[in-house]
Amino acid sequence: MSTAHYSVIIASKGRTIAAVDDFSVVRNEISFLFGESGIGKSMLCKAIYGLLDPEELHITVNNMPYRAYLNSPETRGVKQSSFFVFQEPSSHLYPLTRITGQLREGSIAGSAGEEEILSRLWKTADSAKLKGILDVYPKPYRPSGGEKQRILLAMAFKKIALLATAETILPTFFVFDEPTGSLDNNYRNLFLGFLFEEYRKKPFTAMIITHDYSIISEVYEHHNSLIDKIHYKELTRIEEGRVRLHDFSPDDYLSWLRQTKTHRPMSAAPAGEVVRVAPEFRIFGHDHRICRDAARTQTVDLVIRRGEMVYVKAPSGVGKTTLAKIIMGLYRPDTFSMTLCGRAVTEATQRSFFEQEIWGRRAGMVFQHADEALDLEATVAETFEGLPLGHKLTHEELDRSLAELFEGGVTEAFLAKKAKFLSGGQKQRLNLLRTIILHPDLIILDEPLNGLDFESVRKIIAILEEKRKSGSALLMISHNEEIFDALVDEEHCYYLS
Amino acid sequence: MMKFIRSKDTRWLSIWVLSTLAVWIWDIVFLNKPALHKVFNGFFNTFIIAILVVVFTLILGWMVTVLLHALQSRTNRAPYLAVTFLMNLIRSIPQIVGILFAYVGITLLVAGSVITSKALVFIIMAISMSLFIFLELVDLMRDRIDHFTKLDFYSAMRVCGIPERRVVNFDILWKNSRLHIQNKLIAVLGYAVFLQCSVDFIISVGLSTEVNEVTLPTTLGSLLAKIDSKQDILAIGYTLTHPGYTGHLFFEHLQGMTVAFLIVFSLVSIYHIANGYAERHRL
Repeated sequence: MSTAHYSVIIASKGRTIAAVDDFSVVRNEISFLFGESGIGKSMLCKAIYGLLDPEELHITVNNMPYRAYLNSPETRGVKQSSFFVFQEPSSHLYPLTRITGQLREGSIAGSAGEEEILSRLWKTADSAKLKGILDVYPKPYRPSGGEKQRILLAMAFKKIALLATAETILPTFFVFDEPTGSLDNNYRNLFLGFLFEEYRKKPFTAMIITHDYSIISEVYEHHNSLIDKIHYKELTRIEEGRVRLHDFSPDDYLSWLRQTKTHRPMSAAPAGEVVRVAPEFRIFGHDHRICRDAARTQTVDLVIRRGEMVYVKAPSGVGKTTLAKIIMGLYRPDTFSMTLCGRAVTEATQRSFFEQEIWGRRAGMVFQHADEALDLEATVAETFEGLPLGHKLTHEELDRSLAELFEGGVTEAFLAKKAKFLSGGQKQRLNLLRTIILHPDLIILDEPLNGLDFESVRKIIAILEEKRKSGSALLMISHNEEIFDALVDEEHCYYLS
Repeated sequence: MMKFIRSKDTRWLSIWVLSTLAVWIWDIVFLNKPALHKVFNGFFNTFIIAILVVVFTLILGWMVTVLLHALQSRTNRAPYLAVTFLMNLIRSIPQIVGILFAYVGITLLVAGSVITSKALVFIIMAISMSLFIFLELVDLMRDRIDHFTKLDFYSAMRVCGIPERRVVNFDILWKNSRLHIQNKLIAVLGYAVFLQCSVDFIISVGLSTEVNEVTLPTTLGSLLAKIDSKQDILAIGYTLTHPGYTGHLFFEHLQGMTVAFLIVFSLVSIYHIANGYAERHRL
């Protein structure tokens, strides 16, 4: 096993954006790279791969000026035989060329087996269906995010197929940046299975950047034979801009998961209902049903009592966030009925009812994307101003609350820092804390673990458990089924269709 | 210092200030005292009124924006429609025509001794101009509010119980639109100088000079309409056919030259400052 070591510094206008002393990449093996969002995972991988612009940023790799690094035969060689799958597939696809054309250009033009790759990734042998998806010009809304992601993965697999025909093992560095972010678990597992299958044929170096810790369980359950060839790394912050890459122990995650499952609360004792939503509702011309079973045959009221944590499951785009926004009075449904904190609410209920009686007082909601949900121009301290706490939050109270989620203590400089200068994970923690600090009867959390590292996931789950025990009703929406299945028993799971 | 000069807006601000200073030094040396006094008064009055226009535009724009936002979400649409109608009525009047009529009103008030203080004349002139300019700021601020209310940003804060007035005034307008507003106000300074000079020029040429001299403060626009300034401007044209006369412009036609330069160069500078500011802050 040989390892390439990189020391990377990326700076702009005198400010260090990301710096790491030892970024190690195990050659011809597969590494999963974890770490909270915004910490520099993508940027460091792009720097090593050779994708950053030496004109815009001041970069050194192994003390070598970036231009020299880019021109070195080793970097050029690796780049020629590798592929970088971007996190945001839209930015990779050219809108004026049909997708089929883009799949057959550049260094992947001569790669064979395209049809097989596509049918594997789409899990279909129907070439007419594939043609319908691929023979289009990419636009923001078509194909869908998940399909665009699979198109990029198909490009990477075409490059891998090219390597398989080479006589020797070429130096490679395949980077998959959040390759499963828009895929549901079925397609995610399909991708992983395909990748490992190709790896078995002929090894290559791959770095998979992800926040999805449940990948570990998938590897341990279904790809056990490759465990020796798979590494788990985590990037953590040492100080502003400076990070450290270290091994992440999969056992930490797996044992925490087991422990969470073992200690999850028993069926709740009868307690006051906070919310009861009628099982059928209609919005934007679509009918939705809330069901008890995964097969979606038996409709039931969605009931959350004090001290309960309820988990709503549905594939992407079915309407989980829409349901949450209806409960919070942000969307006006066509037909809807619920009881919220003892008050009957229907589609006719005015927004003023929610403004005066619900928001921040009886119910709060944590939105999915912290980048959109926070005022990024406001400072950390200002984020907590204006909340209906009944009193002005004292410095000590704010410090205490922040210290629960932010390691290293809360300094004046941190409180005065604008939210836009925080990492993605820090923003998400701030986003969560703004609602949690309110102590409402009902807290709705939409993808609360987005962009968090494992340590933060553990802290957030612990805080939510505390909230639940203190009598709050929690409604969870998340695609991270493994963690929430461990946390919430089947009795408190609902399925939306 | 290099950073200051590298930005287009600060570079043009420096050019404007330094050039204006150079002109003043030249005038102090070569322009006769009564003319110098008139030009200085004209410049001072023009910019005091323009700055007041900026202040009133900001106050009026902010108040009307917040009022419209509050009325928009009410079940009773009548007050919202009434304010919108009133705004559209103002919008339908060409700025220069509106300000001309406002000036006529001010003249009547001064002539009837209703207004006697010079400061009050300045303030009323500035308010009159703001009334026909502030809608541009309202449009910008409402666009910003509309943009943010469509994002999760607005809903996420509201469901936390943060009051609407704080989200709109502090988070949207102050924290996230301040630079846009500042940029618009720089442009408003330019409009104010331009409209003021245009209207004063029209009034001074078209109405009785006697009325104007008695009632309204001297501005760069009214100075430009004076016969001696006009002769100076004609002299500039004369140099096109008689280039040898150019040197005389800087010694014998200084009043008109200075006034024309201060108006044109100030407008060009303000235009570049506003553009540079937008570029620097990527607005």
